[in-house]
Amino acid sequence: MQAGRGNAVWVVIAAFNEARVIARVVAGVVRHGYSVVVVDDGSRDETLVAAAQAGAHTVRHPVNLGQGAALQTGIDYALQQGADYVVTFDADGQHRAQEIASLLQALDRHCADFALGSRFLGTPTNLPTTRRLMLKAATWFTRLMTGLRLTDTHNGLRAMTRRGASVVALRQNRMAHASELLDQIARSGLSYVEVPVTIEYSAYSLAKGQKLSDSLSILVDLSAQRLLR
Amino acid sequence: MIAQLILTVLLSAILLYAWVEYRRAPVIGLLSVLAALTGLYFVWMPSHATWLAALVGIGRGVDLILYVWVVISLIVLLNLHLKLRMQHELITVLARELAIANARSASKST
Repeated sequence: MQAGRGNAVWVVIAAFNEARVIARVVAGVVRHGYSVVVVDDGSRDETLVAAAQAGAHTVRHPVNLGQGAALQTGIDYALQQGADYVVTFDADGQHRAQEIASLLQALDRHCADFALGSRFLGTPTNLPTTRRLMLKAATWFTRLMTGLRLTDTHNGLRAMTRRGASVVALRQNRMAHASELLDQIARSGLSYVEVPVTIEYSAYSLAKGQKLSDSLSILVDLSAQRLLR
Repeated sequence: MIAQLILTVLLSAILLYAWVEYRRAPVIGLLSVLAALTGLYFVWMPSHATWLAALVGIGRGVDLILYVWVVISLIVLLNLHLKLRMQHELITVLARELAIANARSASKST
């Protein structure tokens, strides 16, 4: 399905100090014929060079702003390049590039504007119990705040149509962007579908992943934004 | 009792804030924890606050002023936090424009 529309599908990868793995991740996505933009979020290592050499378009934040800010930059860039579909994909190697096709197919099949990956519909491998509980709590919280009945609210693998991507305007620079994105989907009234995806946890991705104190940061950020409205 | 509960909630929020901030600024985090714990101690042990006040020559009448000051300080702190967030949003917009203007396409960079 995705063959022949590679330039229409843009995969956005936000990366911060990912020089160890970014080349492999980019190469894995490029191999499927998609355009890739890596947003280097002010890394202090060779992330940018490695991503470029692997075949990605590269955008570099002059300072570290956070994953949410990097994703928004990538989405803006992809739309400027004429993307018909935008996919967000994690830089730490925990997603499978071949599952992008499943998300795109789901968009077409359900005439949806957002296809959201869910590890709980799919096969989470090596998911620690504490991480599972934290994600379940986040899912419950998001359901309460947005009304969206989702099984996985902090999954970085998503696909969206151009129309969907155009309504995304992330102001949460850091981890709270995942909840903010769902809030914007709910407010937009655009349709969404959940798609089973596989998350492959490794020692590297777990070390880079969210911690319990991050969930508090997310709550603080979301509360502060509501006060600013 | 009501004032004690309200102050406990507010000071507990400061403790959570300190935990979050500790990773970014350890000194601020530790100072915030110290201030919040001291505040909690005196809120629930007002007689010790009185003893300390007497020791340094301050009467009990100042307690109310102190409590009001704490609440005002918390509000000012929240306000500063929100203003910093707004500033950060502006910096983000500028950085994004700069980054996209200097983007390198795959064909040029490989």
